[in-house]
Amino acid sequence: MRVLIVGAGLAGLTAARRLADAGVEATVLEARDRVGGRTRGIEVAPGAWVDAGAAYLGDRHTELNALIAELDLKTCPTGMVGASRFELGAGETGAAESSTAQNSGAEPGGVGAKPGGVQTGAAETRPGRFPPLNAVALGELFDLLADLTAKVHPEAPWLTPDAAELDATTVAQWVYRNLRHPDARRFFPLFLGEMMAADPADISVLHMAFYLRSGGGLRYLNAFEGGAQQDRVDGGAHQLCERLAADLDVRRGEVVHRIQATDSGVTVSSTGGEQHADAVIVAIPPVLADAIDVDPALPAPRATSRTAPGCAVKVQLVYPEPIWRDHGLSGWSVNANGPLLSTVDDSPSDGTVGVLTGFVTGAEAHRYAALAPSEQRASAVAQAARLFPFLPDPVGFHLTDWVNEPYSRGCYAALFGPGDWMSLGPGLTEPHGRVHWAGTETSTEFFGLMEGAIRSGHRAATEVLAHAPATPSRRS
Amino acid sequence: MTVDDTLEIFRRVLETPDVTPDSDFFDLGGDSLLGTRVLSAVARATGVELSFDDFLLAATPGALAKRVAETVAPA
Repeated sequence: MRVLIVGAGLAGLTAARRLADAGVEATVLEARDRVGGRTRGIEVAPGAWVDAGAAYLGDRHTELNALIAELDLKTCPTGMVGASRFELGAGETGAAESSTAQNSGAEPGGVGAKPGGVQTGAAETRPGRFPPLNAVALGELFDLLADLTAKVHPEAPWLTPDAAELDATTVAQWVYRNLRHPDARRFFPLFLGEMMAADPADISVLHMAFYLRSGGGLRYLNAFEGGAQQDRVDGGAHQLCERLAADLDVRRGEVVHRIQATDSGVTVSSTGGEQHADAVIVAIPPVLADAIDVDPALPAPRATSRTAPGCAVKVQLVYPEPIWRDHGLSGWSVNANGPLLSTVDDSPSDGTVGVLTGFVTGAEAHRYAALAPSEQRASAVAQAARLFPFLPDPVGFHLTDWVNEPYSRGCYAALFGPGDWMSLGPGLTEPHGRVHWAGTETSTEFFGLMEGAIRSGHRAATEVLAHAPATPSRRS
Repeated sequence: MTVDDTLEIFRRVLETPDVTPDSDFFDLGGDSLLGTRVLSAVARATGVELSFDDFLLAATPGALAKRVAETVAPA
């Protein structure tokens, strides 16, 4: 049996690996000249790599942890020790609260909040990760999100009570109707950007609720230690795909544009020519899958005009060392104004250099992605210097624009817009004859994460093997 | 707000029955996100709006009930 796999990201390569292990001839067609999909490594110093794409994992990501061990890779903890910085354009409430707060003692750099003197736009230091905003207002926000998350049907979101209504409503509309307190309204878009790389106007309430549920709930998705950001792949997550691909037949630079299926097999047309096989697994994001001409036609599209790209631009600022740690700071910051809506210490575990990763998400990602490179660099460096005034000029600057990446079309994952779950959901994993679907967006478990991609790859491989023509036998 | 009330809130938010009046919220797996949900529950029940720093200094059901009582009727 021969199977073609479209896409050499985690989903496609884990599917191919499982098929190859079962004795199937598996060939992977990849549009880019590299494997990895939405994982990508950048070498920031000789031998020191950072993740320009997917990066984090936690204990519940069991398939990913198993793959890491199988490929002889290791994890390293994501550092989150020390105080945080917040540049929230501090509203009345934030200022009032912080004026009574005891500043942590861990601020030898003297960058702490001045009691009672928080100015609009000024960054302030707080112990831990809790922002200087009204805690009761944020609690009410999280109560609402927890109620929505508990309500959603985890395996079939379209069967959730009131699904049609939840799917017809954008999160922006939901915010308008449900969030009264200015601190909740200020914080929520930043939270959604961190969690989903989404602009509230782009996604339905059903998609938000599903995503939070799928990833293990609010607390798990948000947490570093004990949560979905606990660890990184030591040396970079891109190594997963590189090591998987090493033992597989992967053909790079092949853009697939047509799949013809018959009773006897499939023909896949790509820029490299035509290939024949018994089955095909399409393991690319839904918007890209929808652009493939499938014959006979699919009963339903893979994406709609409302399906939006995950809006993330990842910026990496490289310093000789993680200097913020000497100042009692974790590198974590949350900021109301862009471009860097949050920052995190992503320094390689070998201690060679300090790396501050900035996340530009949601609507800000579109604005920032459209700037000239010199402006992108200047504004990110200036913001880092405001947040961490002791920082010198970075020795390296790397920017990864996932929004406009032609062979990803967004990151972390596709954003299901209004109506998408009701129309796309039921067909998300349903094979179309010999055409099977993989990719993190086809996994209801850990949707949008590396774990979801791997689970989808394994599911698709299992489907193909179940439909495989029986090995010739002489039982008759 | 009695200790029974704060116990009930802790159990609901932390999704565990194993909470005593002396249990520390953060030792039981609570974090700042879940902590705000305790504070919103307190506010709904009593009208008392505590800050996150208040909660850090009263992170057990016993201490929290006492803190709320002091706020309602200052000594």
